[in-house]
Amino acid sequence: MTNELTDAATLADRMQRVGYLVDEGLATALFFAVRLGQPVLLEGEPGVGKTTAAKALAGALDTTLIRLQCYEGLTASEALYEWNYQRQLLAIRLAESRGDRLRDADLFTAEFLSDRPILQAIRFAGPRPPVLLIDEIDRADDEFEALLFEFLGEAAVSIPEIGTFTARRRPIVVLTSNRSRELHDALRRRCLYHWIEFPAAARVAQILRRAVPGADGSLIASAADFVGRVRILELDKPPGLAEVIDWVSALSLLGVTELTRPAAERTLAALAKTADDRDTVADAFDALDEPDTTRA
Amino acid sequence: MTNGSGPVPPPLRGVDRAALAAGLTRRLRDRGVSVDLSAAEGFVRALAAQPPSTRTELYWTARISLVRRQSDLAAFDALFAALFTEAGLGADPHARRRPLPPTGTLTAVPAPTAPAQHGSGLPWATLPAVVGGSDHAADAGPAVPQRMPTAAAGLTDVPFEALDDEQLALLDAWLGAQLPRLPTRRTRRLAARRSGSRAALRETMARSRRTSWEPIELVRIRPVRRPRRLVLLCDVSRSMQAEATAYLQLGRALVRAADAEVFAFATGLTRLTPVLRRRSAAAAMAQATEAVGDRFGGTRIAANLHALLASRHANLLRGAIVLIGSDGWDSCPAAELATELARVRRRAHRILWINPRAGAPGFRPRVASMAAALPYCDRVLPGDTFAALRRVIDAIADCDLPVRGPVRTTA
Repeated sequence: MTNELTDAATLADRMQRVGYLVDEGLATALFFAVRLGQPVLLEGEPGVGKTTAAKALAGALDTTLIRLQCYEGLTASEALYEWNYQRQLLAIRLAESRGDRLRDADLFTAEFLSDRPILQAIRFAGPRPPVLLIDEIDRADDEFEALLFEFLGEAAVSIPEIGTFTARRRPIVVLTSNRSRELHDALRRRCLYHWIEFPAAARVAQILRRAVPGADGSLIASAADFVGRVRILELDKPPGLAEVIDWVSALSLLGVTELTRPAAERTLAALAKTADDRDTVADAFDALDEPDTTRA
Repeated sequence: MTNGSGPVPPPLRGVDRAALAAGLTRRLRDRGVSVDLSAAEGFVRALAAQPPSTRTELYWTARISLVRRQSDLAAFDALFAALFTEAGLGADPHARRRPLPPTGTLTAVPAPTAPAQHGSGLPWATLPAVVGGSDHAADAGPAVPQRMPTAAAGLTDVPFEALDDEQLALLDAWLGAQLPRLPTRRTRRLAARRSGSRAALRETMARSRRTSWEPIELVRIRPVRRPRRLVLLCDVSRSMQAEATAYLQLGRALVRAADAEVFAFATGLTRLTPVLRRRSAAAAMAQATEAVGDRFGGTRIAANLHALLASRHANLLRGAIVLIGSDGWDSCPAAELATELARVRRRAHRILWINPRAGAPGFRPRVASMAAALPYCDRVLPGDTFAALRRVIDAIADCDLPVRGPVRTTA
C-alpha cells in the first residue's frame, strides 16, 4: 500500500476518502513522513486537527495507529518498555519447582518484556509499518524528549540487558505539540516540521459539511463565517475546529437552520470555554443580526 | 503564497539539488533562520522523493524540510517570495548550461522582469552573501564586502524603529568591530620614519657617531599623524526618537575607539562624552538618558550650534570631522542655521550630516533648514539602518581622501 503512494496528492485523496480533508501543505508533510521515514512534528493552535490528522493517516494507509499520550512525569517504563516482574517471578518459581538453575540472562529476554507504545511500534509485525502518534509532546518533561532521540533518529531502542531493537521497517511517527513550552532544538532537528494554520472560512465550511452531515447548508456557511470573525477577537481560548464542529452539531441537533442570536446563545457552551470568553463571544452575537441586514 | 501554480515550467529542471539546498539554506541563515545540515539533507532527500512540479509544491517541500519553528515562517515566506515568486530567471545558472532535451515548455521561461534582488543571483549560485551595500552603494564608492555574523547580518536592513534592546546590544558590539580604520590628521611634530620625505640632519649626524662620524645611514623624518577629532552632534528630539539611541550607540563606539566628542541636543545642549565612555553599554545609555533633560522635546538646531560655538568646547570643532545626526526639522529660522553652520564650516575639517529620512527613495531636502544646511555639508548620508550606519563609518574613513568632484564653496 505504501509503495503505491507516489505523491502527496494521492495521499490527500486517500485521506479525504477516510473523511479527513487535508490541504497541500499537510499532505506534503505527511507524504514525506511516510516516504522518507522521518518523524514529522505538527504544531498549531489547539483544535486545528493535529491528532485527527495522524488518525486519518493511519486510516488512509490502512494500518494500525499506536498512540502515546504525553503527560508530565511520563517515563521510559510507560513509553518504551517495562520488565514483566510477575512473569519473571513465576519463571523463577517454575524453575525452582523443576529443580533448574536460572541465570540472569534467562530472566531478561524479550519474552519478559512488556512493550509500551514506542517498542510496540518498533516490534510491530503487521504487513505495513504502523503510525505512531506521540501526542502533545510539549506536556512531557524535557528529559523525556532526550529519551526519544535514539528512537526518532535511528528508529531503535536500546535495552541494556538485551541489546538494541531496530525496526524492520521504520514506523511512521507523528508528533504533535500545542506549544505550551518550547521544544528542544535537538528534537526539532530530527523531525520534519509543519505548522497547521487555522483554515479559512470556505475550508471550515467544507470540513463542517463533512463532519456534520445533517446540518443545513446556510447554517454551516454562516457558522464558518462567524467563527472566522470570533477568532480575531481577544479570547483566552479561540475556538478550534473541534469546538466549531461541536457547536454546529449542537445547533443542528436543536433543528436550527439559520444562525440567529437566540439559537447561538443557547449553544454558547460549545464555543466559549471560559467565563471571559463567554462574555466576549456573547457580545459578538450582537453583531450577528446586523451584518445580515447590511448585506441584504 | 499557496497559489501560483500557473503556466510555469517545472521549476527545477536539471538543477543540482545539493547546490540548491546549500544555497537556499545559506540564504535562510542570512535571514536569521537557523537551519542545520540535517535539514538541508532532508530537503535534498525530499526533492528526490517527489520532484516538485509546481512552485507551490517546491514551497511546501522546502518549508516542511527546512523550517523548524513557526516564528521562522515569515522569514522563509519572504525569502521564497523574493527568490521564486517575484524574481524571474535572470541569470544563467551553471547547472542549467548543459543542453536539455528540446521541449516546448522551456520556451516559456519568464524573462527577467523583477530587478535583481538583494544579494543578487539565484539560490543555487552559492556565492557568499556580502554586506556593505549593493543598494545605495553608488555614492559610497567601492565598498569593501564585509562578512558579518549571521545575527547582525540579518539586521542590516532593519529600520531602527524595529530594534529591541537585545538587538541594540548587538549593534553596540558590531559598531565596535567596524571602527579599526579612522581618519587621521597631520601634526606639526616630526618623527623618524623610513618612508619620510625629508632628511633629518640632526639624527643622521647623531647616527654617524657609530660609524666614525661617517654618515652612512640617512635618517628620514615625516610628520606624525594623529587620529582626527570626531564630534557627533545627536538630535534627541521627538522626531528622532527611534534613531537617537542608535546614533548615541555610534557615538559611544566613536568615543571609546577614537576619543570622539558627543553632544546631544533637542532644546538645549548636553555634553555626553564622559557618560558614554562607560564600559557597559546599558549603563552608559541609562546615564545618557538621565543626563539629557530635554529628551524627546522640540528641536533648536541653530540655537544649539550657537551655544556650542560659544561654550568652552568650541575649540573641539577645530579641524574636526563634525557629524550631525538629525532629520533637519528645526524650530529656529533657516537663515540662522545657515549662519551657524557657516561658522562651524570654517572651523571643522568636514561636516557630515546623517539624516534618517535620506534613506527613503526619492528623498529631497525640502525642509527649509535642511535645504539651508546643504551647502555647508560635505555629505548628506542616510542613517536609517545598520547598513546605512556602516556606510556612515565608511564615509568617516573616507574623510582622509582628498575631496573629489567640484570644489565646495564656503560662505
